[in-house]
Amino acid sequence: MAPLLQIERCTKRFGGLVANRDVSLTIEPREIVGLIGPNGAGKTTLFNCISGALHPDEGRIVLNGTDISRARPERVCRLGIARTWQVVRSFGRMTALENVICGALRRTNRIGPARARSLELLAFTGLAGKEDVAAAALTLADKKRLEITRALATGPSLLLLDEAMSGLTPFETTAAVELVRRIHAELDLAICVVEHVMEVVMPLSHRVVVLDHGEKLTEGPPAEVARDERVITAYLGDRYRGRA
Amino acid sequence: MTLFLQAVADGLQMGLLYALVAVGLAIIWGLMEMINFAHGEFMMLGMFGAWGLSVWLGWDPLISMVPIAVVMYGLGVLVYRLLMQRVQRGEVFTQIFATVGLFFFIQNGVVALFTSDYRFVDKSLLTGLSGVNLTVGGIRIGVPLLVGGLIALGLFLMLYLLIDRTDFGLALQATAEDRDAAMLVGIRPQRMYAVAWGLGTALVAVAGVILANFFSVYPQAGLSFTVLAYAIVALGGFGSVLGTLLAALLVGVVQSVTAAYLPPAFKDAFVFGSYILIGLFRPQGLFGRF
Amino acid sequence: MVGALVALLYPIPFERSGQIYYETVGFLVLLNAMLGIGWNIIGGWAGQFDFGPSIFLAIGAYTAALLSIHLGWNAWLALLGAVVVSVALCAALTYPVTRLRGHYFAIATVAMWMIAQPVGATWRFINGSQGLFIPVAPGGSFVHGMLTMEFAGRGKGLGFYYLSLGLFVITLLGARAIERSKLGFYFRAVRDDQDGAEAIGIDSRLYKVIARCLMAAVFAAGGTLYGFWALAVFPDQVLDVNWNILPMMAAVVGGLGRLWGPALGAIVLIPISQIMTTTLGSGPLAGRGIDLIIYGAVIMLIAGWRPNGLLSLPWAAWAARFRGRAPAPVAKG
Repeated sequence: MAPLLQIERCTKRFGGLVANRDVSLTIEPREIVGLIGPNGAGKTTLFNCISGALHPDEGRIVLNGTDISRARPERVCRLGIARTWQVVRSFGRMTALENVICGALRRTNRIGPARARSLELLAFTGLAGKEDVAAAALTLADKKRLEITRALATGPSLLLLDEAMSGLTPFETTAAVELVRRIHAELDLAICVVEHVMEVVMPLSHRVVVLDHGEKLTEGPPAEVARDERVITAYLGDRYRGRA
Repeated sequence: MTLFLQAVADGLQMGLLYALVAVGLAIIWGLMEMINFAHGEFMMLGMFGAWGLSVWLGWDPLISMVPIAVVMYGLGVLVYRLLMQRVQRGEVFTQIFATVGLFFFIQNGVVALFTSDYRFVDKSLLTGLSGVNLTVGGIRIGVPLLVGGLIALGLFLMLYLLIDRTDFGLALQATAEDRDAAMLVGIRPQRMYAVAWGLGTALVAVAGVILANFFSVYPQAGLSFTVLAYAIVALGGFGSVLGTLLAALLVGVVQSVTAAYLPPAFKDAFVFGSYILIGLFRPQGLFGRF
Repeated sequence: MVGALVALLYPIPFERSGQIYYETVGFLVLLNAMLGIGWNIIGGWAGQFDFGPSIFLAIGAYTAALLSIHLGWNAWLALLGAVVVSVALCAALTYPVTRLRGHYFAIATVAMWMIAQPVGATWRFINGSQGLFIPVAPGGSFVHGMLTMEFAGRGKGLGFYYLSLGLFVITLLGARAIERSKLGFYFRAVRDDQDGAEAIGIDSRLYKVIARCLMAAVFAAGGTLYGFWALAVFPDQVLDVNWNILPMMAAVVGGLGRLWGPALGAIVLIPISQIMTTTLGSGPLAGRGIDLIIYGAVIMLIAGWRPNGLLSLPWAAWAARFRGRAPAPVAKG
């Protein structure tokens, strides 16, 4: 099976800082990939390069055979990648429903079908009853749900979730994990999750990729990666080496 | 060639004055990202102040510069506290819109009081020197404009020192960089903003006082200076004081050279065209940090 | 409904008494309301503040005038031509500056306006500052006038009132359709969060251009109407700063982004100017810009205290209170 997304030796610099160095990874269709690493490892930068908000200085990013290294964000979305943001974003002055409609309009030009699809999705993600609330007035957890719903409305084949669990209470986090599971089970897409919370990423992912200081450290099934000495050292420092 | 060099020389002198006009805007912008459509109107008030004091009290503009600066500082603070403070919390557009209202109010207030007639400062030190020239290598440098430009430069340097070398200037810069962090170290942003408005207004008014020696004084004089000031601040990199000076000199030269070779109506067109080009290709300005 | 009736019947009493002046006021209100709706599309919905829309009014007026003078086109055809040219030029001018955001975009639009002024004054093709004059065929009935925008003698005030009313209604309906369409959603998305919009597939640059072109179309139509009303097109007239400011003011004072905002704003603002002109007459304060002083004060008050415009005032609450009080005696004076 051909990979959905191929990142080949992606390098991104900001002045003297090398945020991503020679990062290569692939994502298969319908796979859940966890992207982990300590703060400053370059995870969000990699997401930005994939989604077109930034462009890699070196290397290539290929989606279904199409080179998207230099593509603008709207084109990347059209080709099937949707994302959420580290700091949640929404169209504050529009209602939740209107927000999702904006996403759904990616797939249809008519408001009627877009509206119907949006209502479906809002029910699916658990926001039924809040369609007419202004996005800015929602709670943080609901805003994140809305962001995901809106992204789903564009009909992606790959969903990028950037720290979707940050700022949530444990109760909200469990509900969010449930949502991601449901999305994966019922919609035909791959998901790449950037996360700090190990209890979330490990059980959820089929495969985990570890970044550290801009480079890919290792990748593999969650259980393996969790035992990998280098990973432990990267997160906890030398004192914990050998204490797997 | 001499024509070109002459134009450059003239342009540099005007550029110094433009720098003074634009720097107040650079400060206000750099600090709180506010657009002020009425910026040129404050300059115009300075011009009228100079004219008025010259006609009624016989004061030379170089002298009336001081009281006018003080009064206009107060006006700037007042405008901030009464109006801008309120709109700062709201949307960007409302802020712009508020200053548009200020623009209409001030300009037409002056029209109502003084009519749109052109006025002139007839008797002053600088107008008295009119016609006195220095000639350097075939280039004629008018002394009045040179003196005016040097005064502007002096004020500019004083401002630079204020911002760069004093504690207060440091506080101003800190607030511009990170307002919340500044609050954490005990700086009151509202006070900084008020001072910035006061300072910016005073500076542009003083520029007006100097310019009143050379240009006719009338209520509509402000708008083209406002847009010019914005073009300069954008070219120089929003918020950079030194960048403003360099950009202003550049604009002065471009304007002067354009006027030398093209019909006078077009002298600003190139400047605005450059603004658009800069916006497209180098949005952080020629010298600025973004 | 009442409003529609009032709007339709408004000019008739004035026509009877020959007070064309009031018809002209109505004409100006409707024209500015229509332009305000156009401005709302780019300023209110798309959130990009255009401070130099008058260049499209000018382009429209000049194109229509040229088509009429040199090719003898009927006014309505000329209007279509004006719209086409204006939209084409707008697309060409706007696409390069779509990278700019917020203030920078606003200044760029002002810069364009300032460049247009010397161009208009010196361009030989359009007769520079000497302007163009639109010939009017003598005679002709009222109906003929409505069809050609040319009224020789009587009926001009009335005719242009209804013409502007018609165009206003068309613009209003068009705007309403856009508001409920994909365009409307996308415009507002670009306004609220441009990066977020791009991430869900919206080409922000394209939609900024579309929004501005829609405004350019409305302004071109308005410019044509104005040109035929004035029967002459001069650069400093069609590029006058008031065309930049009034439509925007009408939209904001009424309620930025609201469909009826510009109409309400225009009804409030234009008469102020006219009242000032009549009450001050030719007295000592005449021509002293008192109306603009009032505009300035109104703008500052709205910006500081009611930034969402007059439509955002609690009309419903007031109406309820008013109705509740009706049976009680009005005690205080």
